Amino acid sequence: MPTEALDDRTSTYLEAIACALREEMRRDSRVFLMGQDVADYGGVFKLTQGLKDEFSEDRVVNTPIAESGTIGMAVGAALLGERPVVEIQFADFVSCGFNQLVNVAAKMYYRTQLSVPLVVRLPSGGGVGAGPFHSQNVEAWFLHVPGLKVVAPSFAEDAYVLMKAAIRDPNPVLYVEHKYLYRREKGLLPRPQDVSDESLSRVRAGARVVRSGDDVTVLSYGWMVHRCLEAAEALSAQGVAAEVVDLRVLAPLDDETIARSVKKNGKVLIVHEAPLTGGFGAEIAARISEHCFEHLDAPPRRLAYPDTPVPHQRPVEAESLPNPTSIAQAIRELHKW
Amino acid sequence: MSETQQLKTGQLSDAALLEFHFFMRLSREWELRFEKLFRTGAVAKWYSAVGNEAITVPAATCIEAGDALFTLHRDSGAILRYYLDVEELLPGRVPVSQPRRKPGVASGELFYRLACQVLGAAAGFSEGYERSYHYNVIDADAELIHVGMISHLGAMIPVAAGAAFALKRRGSDRVALNFIGDGGTSTGDFHEGLNMAAVLRAPLILVIENNQYALSTPVRQQYAAESLAARAAGYGIPGARVDGHDAEAVWAEVGRAVDRARNGEGPTVIEAVVQRLRGHSEGDDSHLLFSEEDRKAALELDCLRTFEGKLVERDLVSRDYLDDIRETCARLVLEVADRALASRESEPEAGERPIYAD
Repeated sequence: MPTEALDDRTSTYLEAIACALREEMRRDSRVFLMGQDVADYGGVFKLTQGLKDEFSEDRVVNTPIAESGTIGMAVGAALLGERPVVEIQFADFVSCGFNQLVNVAAKMYYRTQLSVPLVVRLPSGGGVGAGPFHSQNVEAWFLHVPGLKVVAPSFAEDAYVLMKAAIRDPNPVLYVEHKYLYRREKGLLPRPQDVSDESLSRVRAGARVVRSGDDVTVLSYGWMVHRCLEAAEALSAQGVAAEVVDLRVLAPLDDETIARSVKKNGKVLIVHEAPLTGGFGAEIAARISEHCFEHLDAPPRRLAYPDTPVPHQRPVEAESLPNPTSIAQAIRELHKW
Repeated sequence: MSETQQLKTGQLSDAALLEFHFFMRLSREWELRFEKLFRTGAVAKWYSAVGNEAITVPAATCIEAGDALFTLHRDSGAILRYYLDVEELLPGRVPVSQPRRKPGVASGELFYRLACQVLGAAAGFSEGYERSYHYNVIDADAELIHVGMISHLGAMIPVAAGAAFALKRRGSDRVALNFIGDGGTSTGDFHEGLNMAAVLRAPLILVIENNQYALSTPVRQQYAAESLAARAAGYGIPGARVDGHDAEAVWAEVGRAVDRARNGEGPTVIEAVVQRLRGHSEGDDSHLLFSEEDRKAALELDCLRTFEGKLVERDLVSRDYLDDIRETCARLVLEVADRALASRESEPEAGERPIYAD
């Protein structure tokens, strides 16, 4: 069963998410799932397979194709104290529910001091030739909106912990999960005794240095963290030490960890899979320029998808995506400053 | 079971009629007072609910503590009816058909905070961070669930459907009553929310206050269907069209819908057609676009005057009683508005407002 973690808790990224959902549903009867085809079919990625059988159709609710209606209903249920988790079939389709997220859910606490404990899962990203409507990384649309939390795990263990934290958090949380990593990324899930209640109880700013290095800082999230690590590994043989920081949580952002690494290395590259213009890298670069300027030895640099839709042709997509070669090249160029 | 519930399929009791009257009059005096305050600049914006009392008061009479109320900007009648216990405000003066709130929840305090809310005062429900009726108050102990206006209109409907679904999931027989205008029915969320409520059999009652204009746009430019109630058929749920000036007719339709919802039979749409008497908001001139016919009709169709006429005709009350209730309501509103205005003189400085719940 894909939703059962293996005994030794080695699991794929997809299983890690499913395992967290299952455990949270067992722990708290207020937690329920809504989404298209999530019940008997188990979702188009089979992530929720088996959950309806364990928890009944009252807790794994198939919805019509109605993103706004679904997110709106989840907001209404959350206002009354339920803990809905909405699966958007592809992150690209969340645009149809945009208003419910950015105006209704995001502003509720500021407006009325009533919390909306809601999780919206966004299967994101490309790399598989899925074309313009099934490959997008839409996190930047929401990072402009005060009141939403946004997480983007890169590793199975973080996918597990952050899903639990997102469910227990009293705020609306967008959970950006990368489709490319679903079955490719594997990791060891933490045992209950290895995770503090605090880290499970809320989504908190929390970037992590996943590879140390004293030459250039590389900031990334999601799938691209893995590519940054590959580039860093290749460069180490050439005597360039890149420090890779996995941002993990984009809102609220861990400015401290970013600043610490940038101040140490004086050179920074930001890598994301979303298009360049108005991407989250622009915000991070601006913050670094504002707050770490005297520590910089080079202008902050961004590497991102070009400002085009993602094509179906795999070679064109592959060439456009930041990759270990282009990332290594950018790091080398920064290192020369 | 309360008296009002028992009477739902029959006639309204005399007590219930007098209670309707009290809240219709209270809502009217509330409107007139805050309209005046709007003209002095003390209120930021005002959307008149004058003329909607025969919809809002009877509809809200059909729900009880623990039911959820979703309102827009012309729904002071529903809010006052849902919040207040007349016996607490005016002991012994108006017959009570049905206790409104649980004992211990102070109507006076809710009344005061509502006045503060529409005045943007710190003691209002949104502490001054939200304007007029754009606020929520959810108090589990008081069994008070009120979600105020979301300006995107149709966006209210899925949220109300979700609240209704949550109430059903808990195994309770509580329902959600959601008001929307004719304008809001053209949004995509109207369709998505109603369709999902129907599929999930959520206990939702959607009351469309069709005042025949979306700001300035008449219904003929909004939809080509014969009625909005007719849309219900497309969702496989009942829809009814009712004269929104007739309090008893509205009460009967909403009562039936609430009964259905409590019995697990899912949502209902009720279209209450009413003549808009004023501009979209006080201070705009959209009413100048009303047709001559509509303007004439508006003058003749004052639901409160009609209702009071019926009460006198049926020998339930005297003209003196009506005058007395009018003066009493005006005084209650004046007092609470003055207190709320005075509270603005000595408000604490607004601190930093968190965007995340902790």
